[in-house]
Amino acid sequence: MSMQRKVHQGEIRLIKGDITDLEVEAFVLYARSDLKLWAGYGNAIATRGGPEIRQELEAIGGAETGTAVLTGGGNLKAKYVIHAVGPKFQEPDLKAKLHRTMLACLNLAAEKGLRQVAFPAMGAGFYGIPLPLCADTMISAMVEFLQQRTSVPEIIICALDNREYAPFQSRLESLEDTWTDAVKGKAS
Amino acid sequence: MSRNSRSYKAERVIERLTRKVNRQMALSLAACVHCGMCTEACHYVLANPDDPTYAPAYKADRIRRLFKRHMDWTGRVIPWWVKAGSIYTDEELNELMDTVFGKCTNCRRCSINCPMGVDFAVVNRMARGLLVSVGIMPEGVAVVSKDQWEIGNQMGVLKEEYLDTLDWMSEELQQELKDPAAIIPIDKMDCEVVYSINPREVKYDPRTIADAAKIFHIAGENWTMPSEGWDMTNFGLFSGDDDLGGAVARRLYEKVEELRGKKLVISECGHGYRSTRCEGPNWAKYDVPFVMESSVITMLRYIREGRLKVDKSKNTIPVTFHDSCNNARSCGLFEEPRELLSLVVEDFREMYPNRSENYCCTGGGGAMSMSEYTPRRLKSAIVKAEQLKATGAKIVVTSCHNCVDGLTDLIRHYKLDMQVAQLVNLTANALVVEARVAVPVEVPAAVPAVEAALPLHGRRILVVDDEPDILTFFSTVLGDNGASVTQAPDGATCMDLARKEKPDLITLDLSMPGMDGGKIFEALRNDPELAGIPVCIITGKPELRRLIYDRPVPPPEGYLDKPVNDETLLLNVRKILKLV
Repeated sequence: MSMQRKVHQGEIRLIKGDITDLEVEAFVLYARSDLKLWAGYGNAIATRGGPEIRQELEAIGGAETGTAVLTGGGNLKAKYVIHAVGPKFQEPDLKAKLHRTMLACLNLAAEKGLRQVAFPAMGAGFYGIPLPLCADTMISAMVEFLQQRTSVPEIIICALDNREYAPFQSRLESLEDTWTDAVKGKAS
Repeated sequence: MSRNSRSYKAERVIERLTRKVNRQMALSLAACVHCGMCTEACHYVLANPDDPTYAPAYKADRIRRLFKRHMDWTGRVIPWWVKAGSIYTDEELNELMDTVFGKCTNCRRCSINCPMGVDFAVVNRMARGLLVSVGIMPEGVAVVSKDQWEIGNQMGVLKEEYLDTLDWMSEELQQELKDPAAIIPIDKMDCEVVYSINPREVKYDPRTIADAAKIFHIAGENWTMPSEGWDMTNFGLFSGDDDLGGAVARRLYEKVEELRGKKLVISECGHGYRSTRCEGPNWAKYDVPFVMESSVITMLRYIREGRLKVDKSKNTIPVTFHDSCNNARSCGLFEEPRELLSLVVEDFREMYPNRSENYCCTGGGGAMSMSEYTPRRLKSAIVKAEQLKATGAKIVVTSCHNCVDGLTDLIRHYKLDMQVAQLVNLTANALVVEARVAVPVEVPAAVPAVEAALPLHGRRILVVDDEPDILTFFSTVLGDNGASVTQAPDGATCMDLARKEKPDLITLDLSMPGMDGGKIFEALRNDPELAGIPVCIITGKPELRRLIYDRPVPPPEGYLDKPVNDETLLLNVRKILKLV
């Protein structure tokens, strides 16, 4: 199950699977501000990736909401992990904070010269970000980034299950009608 | 903070309250007349008779006052009369958390005593959900919820670990039945039965998977287990998070549909059965097109249809039965397990009270995850302990994995001479397996007879535990199976012997005086010479699991809860040493 959309000079791909098991250049973990790897994807990264990732995170110490840090991928199939600290549990200004966090991840990937980065449904699930808001904000941040920068040409959204997949699918389907037309219009 | 302003989280809780209260909850919130009939029904009250804060009506009032203030006209007009009140600070939210998570297991025993039909557990669960939505919950609840959201099961079992365990159990079954066709089929299409399990079975009790596989195989069932969406437990039932409840249930239903399975059989788990069969379709808004059935009913049906032959003389030890609250009180599943027991055991002794009147195991569908409440839980378990003791049985059978853990913990705490088992174990043990024409499992000719007979031959194992009885027991079991065993009663000796002997495996207790197991484990992992030695944690305090998993080192290769029997110990040691 997958789909993709060309957006400006890049591509947004939607797939379904376990993001911590992807063979990609980098993937994003929705992290805590203390950067501790815990439960869920955190434990999967610690188990599959080995102790190096934790040691790197301990040296960094922490990060603020709306920012992201990069570590190696240890024994993971991915070369790098981007640890992004996003908003959680109905906190104020969810949308703006999530947008900022997305751009922080993408800009960090660009600065590090990464050509491919995979995102989970950021903050949806345990942290309670509503899926429609999550899908809207993530895709609009991706489009904004791809409009401005040509680095990181491949952005992947890795949905965990059909429930997460569906809202991204519908947003990406509507994206074809709006953004490609807009780009075409600009080009002409 | 002034009474006119509310913290951000308190504001969100009140907002959501008005959206979450449905007709059933409103009835329970409005109908209480404070008659006190619920009080004596609660095991927390019985164990704490001088503390009124455990009374179900008192606990319900913590939530009822919010309903009265924000949703009921009486609370707006005459708030002092109906004891209406609001919540303003994060501290007050934390106090509410202590009540709804730490003073009730949602067992619903109080509800059957209420003449007004108040179902406190429904209201309590709703309050848990409100707190979870603003991130206020016990650490253990957060860990389990996040594991189930992101990994797809409550214990964070990774896909490779799950498939590896099924593979291992398949090999065990083939060897036991000497039948190469005796396997666990994975993702087989168009089966009569899709079998779903509790992740605890993968992590701590794989024998239940092998026993179920044996039963399906001998019954000649066309069955399969899914590679994904296999967890039939649902922590949304415990945490009150309906979104989690819906997501988890949907994953399982969609997988069964994808496999075109005709029936979903749910292994023995009270909260799994209730959430998957009864609550899940509502949470997920899913029109389930296949039949859902407890494995207890499946096993009973196989015997009734003559597909299984059983001999009760194979189970002679006196047995009693503990009704899981979710199975019995909430789903009415209490006669079938008794009928099955009457077919597979010789000496069944009823526990009193029983069926829907039974007392909670204190594990409460997930309460074991909250280590901060362990002392309270074990204190309230005196009620259950006395019930168990009065039966005179040596085995307590239950059809619920939470109950297995809750009962095991209280049996150890109150030093009862009992073991816990499930119906699948006793049924598998009672099976009469008719001789089959089978292809013998080949044993390489070069393997000497003694090596084939002793599965741990040539392996060096270091056993670390401060209890002399445990040291002796583990050493005897492992030694009898061919291992060369050394013993360490403390951390310092462990490190010395590990460096000197370089064992093939270390079994490590967590709770020891001086250097505890967590520190020893970290020291082993941080020593380049010892880091590669597999470690199996064996502890009587499951709540100490965090001591291990929070450390910045790779996790242990194995994990067992005490008490552990010889068979389980041997199976797990063989698995870690890749001898199966």
